[in-house]
Parts: sequence; C-alpha cells; structure tokens
Amino acid sequence: MIRRVVAIGAVLVTALLLQSTVFGELNLLGVRPELVYAVVILIAVLEGPSEGAVVGFAGGLLQDFLLNEPKGITALTLTLLGYGMGLARQYVSSPSPLLPMILVAAGTAGGVAFHSIVSFLIGRFDHPVTYGLRVVALTAVYGAILTPLVHPLLRRIAEGSRPRRVVRFS
Amino acid sequence: MVTRPRPRSARFLVIVLVSASLAVITLDYRQGTTGPLAALGRGTQAALAPLQSAVTAIIRPIESFFSAVTHLPTLQEDNERLRGRIADLEAERGSAPNWQELYETASGLLELRGANPGSIPATVISNGVSNFEWSITIDRGSDDGIQINQPVIAGTAESPRLVGRVIRVTDRSAKVQLAIDRRHAAAAVLGRSREIGVIAGRGDDDMEMSFVAPSTKVEGNEPVFTVSYSVNGQQGLYPPGLLIGTVSQLQADGNELERSVLVAPAVDFSALQLVLVLKPRSGDDG
Repeated sequence: MIRRVVAIGAVLVTALLLQSTVFGELNLLGVRPELVYAVVILIAVLEGPSEGAVVGFAGGLLQDFLLNEPKGITALTLTLLGYGMGLARQYVSSPSPLLPMILVAAGTAGGVAFHSIVSFLIGRFDHPVTYGLRVVALTAVYGAILTPLVHPLLRRIAEGSRPRRVVRFS
Repeated sequence: MVTRPRPRSARFLVIVLVSASLAVITLDYRQGTTGPLAALGRGTQAALAPLQSAVTAIIRPIESFFSAVTHLPTLQEDNERLRGRIADLEAERGSAPNWQELYETASGLLELRGANPGSIPATVISNGVSNFEWSITIDRGSDDGIQINQPVIAGTAESPRLVGRVIRVTDRSAKVQLAIDRRHAAAAVLGRSREIGVIAGRGDDDMEMSFVAPSTKVEGNEPVFTVSYSVNGQQGLYPPGLLIGTVSQLQADGNELERSVLVAPAVDFSALQLVLVLKPRSGDDG
C-alpha cells in the first residue's frame, strides 16, 4: 500500500514539475498541454473510479497550491474527472488501442470546460469565451497526443505497485 | 484490467472529496493571501522550487528547441518582416548561439543592475502551470530580500523592459505575474504623443492600452512606457520609463470619448531566462 502511494505520489509530482517547466514552454497556438489532467484520467482508466477520485483530488490540490487562484477548483475538477472517467471505463469494453486517447481527449475537454465554468461562477474567469473554447479544444488534442507516451508508463507503474495476492495452502 | 469497486463506497468517497474541495475553495476565497491555505501554497511552491530549478537546468537546451518549434506559427507571421534580418543574425550568432545569447542577456542585465542599485538578479525556474494564468517563478525569495509587489524587469541599461510584478514570495523563490496576464494592469504613456492610458494584459494576444483620447495621433511601432503617478500620496508600482512594448494596431471601435491601441510586448516571455527585481516602491497598484 505504502509503495503504491509513493509510486503514484511520485508520478503526480513529476507530472506537475514537467507541467511547470517543459510544458510551460510548449505553448503551441497559445495553449499548453494539461499533463496532470492526462495522468489523472489514465490512472482512473487503469485503476477505477475510487483511485481516480483520490488521485484527482491529490493532483488537483497540488496544482492548486501552485496557482494564484482560489484553491480547490482544480481539486474539485480532477476529483469528479477521475471518478467519472473510472466509471465510464467500466461501461466501455472496446479493445481498440485508440480508446485511452479518446478518453483522455474527451476527459480533458470536459475537465477544462468544467474548471472554466466554476472559475466563471466565482468571478475568477476573465477571459473571452473564444479563448476558453480554444483552450478546451487544444488541450484535448494535446492530451490525445501525449497518451501513447504516458499510458504505457503509467500502466507499468500501476501494475508494478499493485499489492500482490498471496494464496496460502494449509 | 479494471477492478470493479463497491459502488457505494466509491460514491461516498467522491462525496467526501468533493465536499473537501468545496471547503478548500470557500476557505481560500474568504481568507485570501493570509490564511493557512495560502501558507500551504507558499510551502508547496518552496518545496518544488529546487526541483523546478534542477529540471529547468537540465532541460533548458531541449526546451529552447521545442519552444522554437512550437512558436513556428507565430514565427511564420513575422517571417516576411524578419527575412531581411536573418543573414545578419546568423552571422552574429556564430557557432554557439545559446551561450552567445545568454552572455548578451547577462551583460545587459549587469548594466541594468548597475543602473538600478539595490536590485536583485534572478533566474527563471518555472513558467506557470495554467492556461489561464501568465506567470513565472524565479529562484530568489524573501531570504534574498524579495517582497510582494516589487517590479521585475529585463533588457539593458539603455532599454529596461517591463516583465511584471512579484505576487507571491517563499524563502527561496517568488512568483511573478507577467505584464501580459489578464489580471495585470499598469499606467502607461505613449512614447511620442505622451498620451497617458492604462495598459492591460490579454494573455498571448497583444496588450490593450485604453483611455487614450480619440484626438491622439498614434503611430505604428510607437513605444509605450510605464509612467509614474501618485494618488493620495501613494506612488504607482512601477518606476517611469520602462519599455512595455510597441503599438501594433489601432482599435477602431467608434467610441468618441476614448480609443484603445494594441501593444506588442517588448519582452519575449517564452524565452525569458534572467530578470532583475527592482527595489520596492511605496504604492499598491501599477
């Protein structure tokens, strides 16, 4: 259990570090990729809604603490996103290798849109709607592009840190 | 392999986490920059700053390459204008362009520091994490004497340029709100007509200078500078004469009382590596 928490914690911190350094520079068409969103969605897809929600809350809170906005909005967004994507995965049985990409794209678009709406409701979204829509669309595309790189890595980490079942014969 | 959870416990967990998130939003909204959550935020920034610094030092050469690639669409727009200068620039760059560039930036900053006694040089270690916030993190904090609202500049002694202002400080790092952030505004003056207005950031789009009198004759590429002012004994945040940018477009909005102009920033924020934090001025706003 501790090994699992440490492994997923390290993944989140690494994602946040890359988000604030490398991905801060990857400003294609004025929008950066949302790596933490992609990581939360993929963990939810691999591990189910409960872990998705917990990892989403932790990752969101961590990201919130680095932002100069009211804290908790990203935590709320990623908690619901992790739970929702974990739940959605249980009802989709397609063996297509494109499925994780589609889920990450759809989840990122929904998550970024939800974050923007909550920010707007508490008076912290002072951007034109067109810019918001551009961010939603482009982060979804970037998330899908990142998935083939991130998904195999997260699958290995998730499987490697899973508690092993021991069967004893007496 | 997806493990099917017990739906009730998963639902209960989500309700708890969502409630916790809502509690965090409410608490932070009420307490602002003084509460325990703000302190936790500063703690997180302080803990991550050395890691960000290390990652930035390792990936900066690769980052510069990717940065150049990702800015290709913008570069294409400027291609025609810059075509005439390419040959000159290539000759100047020589065989080690990054070192040469860094040397020139550092030399300019040294001159700038000489002209601004008491200022603190800093290295950019992070570029912000959100698509809705334009900020950088620098490797100097309260241990080095950095305080909130200190102006941050770049450029040379002959042409100091506005970067932004410090908005959050930890022991060894500080967060700087860039002049292009949508929540940033400052008093500004047009270089030739001396008309005063308010300039506000618009993210990656050019900044907008408002409250310019419609009769003002504004020229293309006219420089825009910070301007000092005092209201009820409170000075503006920025010292006068910092280059903010150049006029890129006149807004024809048909308003008879005022007009606005678009201003292209003088600083390439995506390539910013070294900055100078100026001594604080008394005053609350730019």
